[in-house]
Amino acid sequence: MRAFVALWKREVFSMLVSPFAFVLLGVWFLLNGMLFVVALSTQQVMADLRLLPPFLFGSGMLVWLLLPAFPPLLCIRLFAEEHRVGTLEPLLTAPIRDFAVVLAKYLAACVFFLLFWGGVLLLFLLLHWHGGNLDWARVLGGMLGAILVSFLFLATGLWASSWSSNLVLGAGGGAALNYLLLFVPALFELNEGPLGSVARSMHLPNFLDRGFSAGLLDSYALVYLLGLSALFLFLTWMRLVSRRWVP
Amino acid sequence: MIKTERLTKHYGTIHALSEVDLEVAPGEILGFLGPNGAGKSTTLRILSGYLPPTSGKASINGLDLMNESLAARRCTGYLPENFVAPSELRVSEYLRFRAALKGLSRKQVPAEVQRVAKHLGLEPRLRQPFSALSKGFRQRVGLADALLGDPPALLLDEPFSGLDPLQREEFRTILKNLAAAGKAILFSSHVLPEVEEIATRVLILHQGRSKAVGTLEDLQSHLHEKAKLCVRLSEAGTKAHEVLAAAAQELDFSFEEQNDKSFLIELNDHSHRSDLFQRLAAAKLPVIEFRELRPDLDQLFRSLVEETAT
Repeated sequence: MRAFVALWKREVFSMLVSPFAFVLLGVWFLLNGMLFVVALSTQQVMADLRLLPPFLFGSGMLVWLLLPAFPPLLCIRLFAEEHRVGTLEPLLTAPIRDFAVVLAKYLAACVFFLLFWGGVLLLFLLLHWHGGNLDWARVLGGMLGAILVSFLFLATGLWASSWSSNLVLGAGGGAALNYLLLFVPALFELNEGPLGSVARSMHLPNFLDRGFSAGLLDSYALVYLLGLSALFLFLTWMRLVSRRWVP
Repeated sequence: MIKTERLTKHYGTIHALSEVDLEVAPGEILGFLGPNGAGKSTTLRILSGYLPPTSGKASINGLDLMNESLAARRCTGYLPENFVAPSELRVSEYLRFRAALKGLSRKQVPAEVQRVAKHLGLEPRLRQPFSALSKGFRQRVGLADALLGDPPALLLDEPFSGLDPLQREEFRTILKNLAAAGKAILFSSHVLPEVEEIATRVLILHQGRSKAVGTLEDLQSHLHEKAKLCVRLSEAGTKAHEVLAAAAQELDFSFEEQNDKSFLIELNDHSHRSDLFQRLAAAKLPVIEFRELRPDLDQLFRSLVEETAT
């Protein structure tokens, strides 16, 4: 446990002093600010501010474009960068369990990514302070859903990062996987057979649009997102274990 | 303490290691020699728990690296080749992090960091970022990291690389002191005089195979069955030639005059050295030097590698 806490603290600290992480954060704030303004200027949202969370978190560019790309970029330093620089070898030869390494790095990334969402929350607060009549259950629900999706994308990013010391491959692979998770179910969503049914049950924006952003805590979506995140953490762990055990 | 049995590692079709056996006892320093690609770093990486072997066994302190990896890693201090610490951390922050990673309690960490920093002369550098350190001090930080938690076994991959002569001298003293304190040390090096000076035993690895292991003297006598002697006299003459010629027939050696006062003698049997000396003394030849010319590690290493190549 002591080793786990030490590694988690170090990862959080490294992100807090990383210029790259803050460049990402800056770009995220800028793009989200622009998307927020665009969303506010649409007629439907202007007519009813309650539609802002589903618009922003469910069908907007935030989820379809930005969210799959940013978590893998944050994750590249967790394994790929360590591997490239040469600090992974001292870490993996220290007396710490492989799963503790994976979990400490993942939780550090999750905590840091909350800063990203803090910026989005600030935009809602500004709107509220300027007289916007917001439905806070929808705002916070939508935000919770988006946070869970971002945690899933961090898990896929972590897995992709564990495969290579090449930073482009690490980040690109993670982002590609995230776009697949978004677009493949969307392609088959309209199919009327069982394939369509499976695709709809895996379609991430649906969870945000119809569930979380409607102020509902959908237990299926919750289990699906947490379960899929756990699966990718398990795969990352297997990647480390195989490095150590498979001859 | 550190042990491998028939340790083998293949990377696809490349045989990096083939059935290497080695053992390092507490208080012993085993120098690991070999040209680039001989398998030194692979062996150390397997022993550190970073890589798995294809076959064979590796253990530290009796703990199998495959079955009890975590416990074995607790007993091991490892300095990888080209050691690097995260550039954003100061030396003290890095050492505190590593001490906690090795399971030391919050109370133990500052004292342990202070202990290794003092031991390695790192105290003035504790507040500097790792990226600001010279190569020599980076190696020290790596060794300090390996020493945290006082592990009984140390694996050091090229610890002398990039160090200036003064730093190498300091490093040698540190390693000798650690061995005197009972640590089992396995280190690889290209710097043959370093190995010659501090290693209790030497293992020569070539193309993944162990070519020779033993003390330097063992290797010298094993590899060079003929003993070469340099005999110098204060005055030479026909008498010296006559005595040597007579002795050469009985003791089975050949000799060659180097200059007018010294001779190079090649004995086929090592045990005839004292007989020869007695003959020279009995003949009352004025011997001022009677020295065995032993091949140094450099020559041994070359002859072994050339032997394998042919």
